[in-house]
Parts: sequence; C-alpha cells; structure tokens
Amino acid sequence: MAVGAVAAYALLLRVPVVRNHPEAYVVAFALATALGVLAVRRARGRRWPAWLALGVAGLLLVVGAWFNFVIARVPDTPTAFRVGAPPPDFTLKDAAGRPVSPADYRGRKPVVLVFYRGYW
Amino acid sequence: MAELQGLGAKLSEAERAGVEIVAISPDPNERSQRVADGLKLGYRFLADPDLAVARRYGLVHARGGPEGQDVPRPATVVLDKDGIVRWFSVARNYQVRPDPADVLRAVRALDGPRP
Repeated sequence: MAVGAVAAYALLLRVPVVRNHPEAYVVAFALATALGVLAVRRARGRRWPAWLALGVAGLLLVVGAWFNFVIARVPDTPTAFRVGAPPPDFTLKDAAGRPVSPADYRGRKPVVLVFYRGYW
Repeated sequence: MAELQGLGAKLSEAERAGVEIVAISPDPNERSQRVADGLKLGYRFLADPDLAVARRYGLVHARGGPEGQDVPRPATVVLDKDGIVRWFSVARNYQVRPDPADVLRAVRALDGPRP
C-alpha cells in the first residue's frame, strides 16, 4: 500500500492542477490522516502497528507541509513586466551561439518567454 | 523542468498558433541544447549564465538554489507581435507553474486565428 501511495503521489504530481495547489493536497493528506486516527481509535485488538503507521503518516504530513509552505516559497520581487507595455529588451546567445533578442520577432510573431531554474 | 515538459506536450498546438517559445535559464548552452534534444522540444534555448536578464526583469530568487546560489524566479510571459506584454505569471512557489493550457489561452487571445 505504501508503494502504491508513493507511486500515486509521483503520478499525481505530474498533473498541473495537483502540483499547482499544494495547499489542497496538504489539506487532503491532513484529512486522510485524521480519518485514520478515528478509524484506529474505534478499532479492536492490537492497535500499536496502526498507531505507528499513523505516526509515520503524521510525520510525512508535517514534512510535506513544511516543504510546500516554507522551502518551496519564492520571495515576491517587483518585476519589470506590465501588461500593455513592452519589457526591457535583451540579447542572449542560443545553443548555437547566435545572439537572440525578443525584438527580433517584433512585427513577425508572438513570443512566449519562459524563465526556468534549469537542471542542476 | 516539469512546466517545460507540459508546454512541450502542447507545443504542436503552440506551433500551429505561430508562436516562438523562448526558454531562458542559467544553464550553459550545450546543456540546454541537450535538454531540448532529449525532450524533442522546438524551443529556442537561451543561456543567461550570470542571471543578467533575470536581474533586469526582477526575477532573481536570491540564494534559492540548492547550493545557496541565486536562481531565476520561474516566470512565463506572453508578448504579442508588437513585443507588448499581454499576459504574465511569476512563481510565488517554485512548484507552482502556470498551467500550459492557460498559457495557450493567453496566446490565442492575442488576436484570434491567424492565416
């Protein structure tokens, strides 16, 4: 079951709607853990393995929430983009070493600029 | 990289819309090229090794990298044919990226279908 959960998590994270709402999946995980606590409290017989599993789940929840809300947070900075205005132009080299500037496309086609953190 | 793959999956549509997708990162050129080839993306990869452009655009996440180095804030900007910003999105959480469908919608909203 744990393996299935990890696989489901990895798969779901590829769906933009899921990845883009970390607060929603942290809340969903918290609800699931709370339901688990209720179920174990009502269960009969040997309960310590279930409590142990819930303890691990609780720990994962705290680490997950900490990651999503503290580590993954990007500080807000004022950007140079204003809807309706051109951004400052620039020239950078492409993979072949040719200089490329957004101005090269002016009057020709729209441009989507994607800034990303890169592979480390 | 996830958002690049997401956009890549929609790329044929974006290409049909006649859009140039320019991906900018501090990665060295050869490495970006390998990434592009590996993913079979039709992007134009530009290297911004010292974050000069990210800095000018206000897109630096100071000490945001795994070794405490400065990294760009993930951002997506749609410029129309005249180079005017029509839509943009800047990350507040590095896991959260614009849905490729939203980017495509912004592109399509520029001036309707073109020949």
